[in-house]
Amino acid sequence: MLLELKGISQSKNGTRILSDVDLSISRSAFFVLMGPTGCGKTTLLRVAGLLDKPCSGQVIYSGRPVPHRGKERLDARRRMVTVFQRPVLFRGSVNSNIEWGLRIRGIPEDEIGRKVSKVLEMVDLEGYGDHDSATLSGGELQRVALARALAIEPSVLILDEPTTSLDPNLRLTLLRRLKDLHSRTGITFLMATHDFTDALSLGTAGAVMRNGRIEQTGMIDEIFYSPSTPFMASFVGMKNVYPAEFKEDGAVVEDLLIRHTSNRKGHGFLAIPPESIVVSRETTITSERNHFTGTITSVERAGPVFSISVDCGNLIIVSSVTRSALSQLDLTEGREVYISFKASAVHVF
Amino acid sequence: MIRYIYAGMLIAAVLSIACSGQSEPSAEAVREQIQEIGEDTGNESVPPRPSASRLRVATTTSLYDTGLWSYLEPMFEEEYGVELDVLYAGTGKALEWGRRGDVDVITVHSRTREEQFVEEGYGLARVPFAYNYFLIVGSPDDPAGLAGMTPDEAFTSLMSSGEAVFVSRGDDSGTHGKEKAIWSAAGYEYEDVRTSGDWYVEGGSGMGPTLVMADEMSAYTLSDMGTFIAYQNDLNLVPVVDQGDVLLNVYSVLQVTSTRSPEMSANLVEFLTSEAVQDLIGNYGVGEYGIQLFTPCAGLGM
Amino acid sequence: MSQLLQAVRIALDMIISGDPVVFSIAFRTLMISISATALASFIFIPLACLIHFNRFRGKRLLLSIVQTFYSVPTVLVGMLVFLLISRAGPLGSLGMLFSPGAIVLGEVLLIAPIITGLTISALSGLGSDIPDTALSLGAGKLQMVLKVLSESRYMILTAILMGFGRAVSEIGVAIIVGGNISGHTRTLTTAIALGVGKGETAASIALGIILLALAMIVSVTVNLLQHSEK
Repeated sequence: MLLELKGISQSKNGTRILSDVDLSISRSAFFVLMGPTGCGKTTLLRVAGLLDKPCSGQVIYSGRPVPHRGKERLDARRRMVTVFQRPVLFRGSVNSNIEWGLRIRGIPEDEIGRKVSKVLEMVDLEGYGDHDSATLSGGELQRVALARALAIEPSVLILDEPTTSLDPNLRLTLLRRLKDLHSRTGITFLMATHDFTDALSLGTAGAVMRNGRIEQTGMIDEIFYSPSTPFMASFVGMKNVYPAEFKEDGAVVEDLLIRHTSNRKGHGFLAIPPESIVVSRETTITSERNHFTGTITSVERAGPVFSISVDCGNLIIVSSVTRSALSQLDLTEGREVYISFKASAVHVF
Repeated sequence: MIRYIYAGMLIAAVLSIACSGQSEPSAEAVREQIQEIGEDTGNESVPPRPSASRLRVATTTSLYDTGLWSYLEPMFEEEYGVELDVLYAGTGKALEWGRRGDVDVITVHSRTREEQFVEEGYGLARVPFAYNYFLIVGSPDDPAGLAGMTPDEAFTSLMSSGEAVFVSRGDDSGTHGKEKAIWSAAGYEYEDVRTSGDWYVEGGSGMGPTLVMADEMSAYTLSDMGTFIAYQNDLNLVPVVDQGDVLLNVYSVLQVTSTRSPEMSANLVEFLTSEAVQDLIGNYGVGEYGIQLFTPCAGLGM
Repeated sequence: MSQLLQAVRIALDMIISGDPVVFSIAFRTLMISISATALASFIFIPLACLIHFNRFRGKRLLLSIVQTFYSVPTVLVGMLVFLLISRAGPLGSLGMLFSPGAIVLGEVLLIAPIITGLTISALSGLGSDIPDTALSLGAGKLQMVLKVLSESRYMILTAILMGFGRAVSEIGVAIIVGGNISGHTRTLTTAIALGVGKGETAASIALGIILLALAMIVSVTVNLLQHSEK
């Protein structure tokens, strides 16, 4: 573990922002911190980056707890760098901005020049050294902020919602660049975002926050394909999430019996991914163990596919079909259809 | 930028309007004026000396506004090799500074207070060195008809009619002290006079500025002869009452007991009472105004 | 009206020809006010940083008090300093009364609130982005403060100029603790007061024009600085 947060609680002006947060980030991970706006991500990043002291709890860096003041804290802070959501550059040239972090560490002059050109090349800004920081475009500014952070060769690079205020093109470019930098340099990344697709494309591990607490943490796959709570499920975009009573032969949701492959007993929740539901006009013999009939109540566009809501008695199940399937099957409101899905596709938690 | 030029012009115009009605000054006169409120260029090339060789004199305003100090200062500085700092104050302020030890010598004109100052140990001795007379001056048309009266008659007339304006120094100066003495001789309590009406104006300024104020208001005021003569040409005031023993005005120099420079202070007293300087004092202003502003009196027991 | 314009013309002539008397008073005034401003800046800009970057009880109260004293009457400060440095006062042994140094001392106290308050404004105007950025790049506290000062240099320069403007145009301190001694502690403002009181209008105008010019130079410079902030 490179960076650990144990029992972190934080309040500001009497309002509780973080409650008992535990986090573990391993060396060279790309750790993504997710959650809706206002759940405390920025506050947590500030504690992790040693910019703020928490009301209680510890930050442990490289196995050693970081004290609240003193040289040891400064040394630890100097091994990390935070790039803020809307970065601010200092007055002067791009070069002077990038050099500053090196100068305050007393790096010798000749080395400074070398490091500066290296990072400028890393962010595709060769030759921009003499440009005045006030004349840069939004995208260039972001890249200089990134270069400035990379120049000091940190162990941990913390990014607070870097993609939030960017237009889609810049966003994609940035994500690609971050991924590239991560694999090139092996720096440990800690990134906050409220868009979980960032996590899916970049992250190796992550955590989801809600109201100042960690809802779930672990490897990215775990989080997305095995959400541990209903909140998590809806966060990761799962549909068809229902409370269920788990009995001997299956899970009872309303009056439907749904077959699944888990050992769960008693109260719980299950979710059925829309893309695993097959819609047809007539009944077919298939290997899926779950079959239901129902009436289509709505047909909605959902990006490149369509969302079909089927009323199966007391339950509305949402399925996802392609455009061609839609027209082939002639799915319209009011139609009677058959839906089926595998027991193994049912998500239980 | 244009905005600032307009603002500057506007302010200059306002200043002009506010100060209209002055007699036309020639370039020479203005240069003289600057000299009065400025300083000799000679001194400026010499860097100021450390405080041990600076002597501080607090002077009553009438000795200053007549220009007597500006006349004597360079002479003293030359002869004794010291920088003289002349502070413009009323007698009251000068005495206070003397008590606090903030000045080395005082030149004032209030006998009773000077004697008290010495008795209380703040001053070494009272050394009179020149005298002249006070005058009651006013506008030429003399609205209250004070011409020819004695001082207390004139004051009684002013108080009872309560119409003609009188400007008082109101600053605890020697002149103010004399004014109060005259009110007392006329049988009035000073507090009653002060509060008796708008006709009595307490200026709170030195002698020169008080004369200017009286001129502006076409009012009466009590002034020492020296300052009045020095200002006469620029003012529209004339002497109205000039007879009476009470109007005697004696200037004394006192060395402050707690001075840091006792030797140099003694030198100044010596200087003012020396024969040569006494002569100069007696002749001061004669050429310019045609009349003696001060009569030397060192050693005459005044 | 024409007499007045005549006086103005004479006054301008004295300025253009570099009249030594006028200019020695102006030079002395500048020396005193510049010294006071420099000294006040050396002391109170660091103090402002200390106040701004630290949390403590009563900080808001302190800031209110500082702002209240922006326009403290100059005669009050003059009186206070007089009582302090008079021979009869606690600092009397320094013998500072009626010297240019006394005026400098008084003016330092006079403009301290302005320098402190406007510097704190400049620092807070910068927001928390720059300090955070500096800290996150590994700056120690002092390095961060220096960087913030550097980033807000134009606003701080404005604070210093405002302080200078107040110092050069005040009279209360100069006249009470300086004594208006000819050749020694006579400044533009005290000379004008003396001149006007004695009816020497034209001479006062010449000095007044110089004082006005100084005030305008300060004002224009502040304006230019604020423009280049944008």
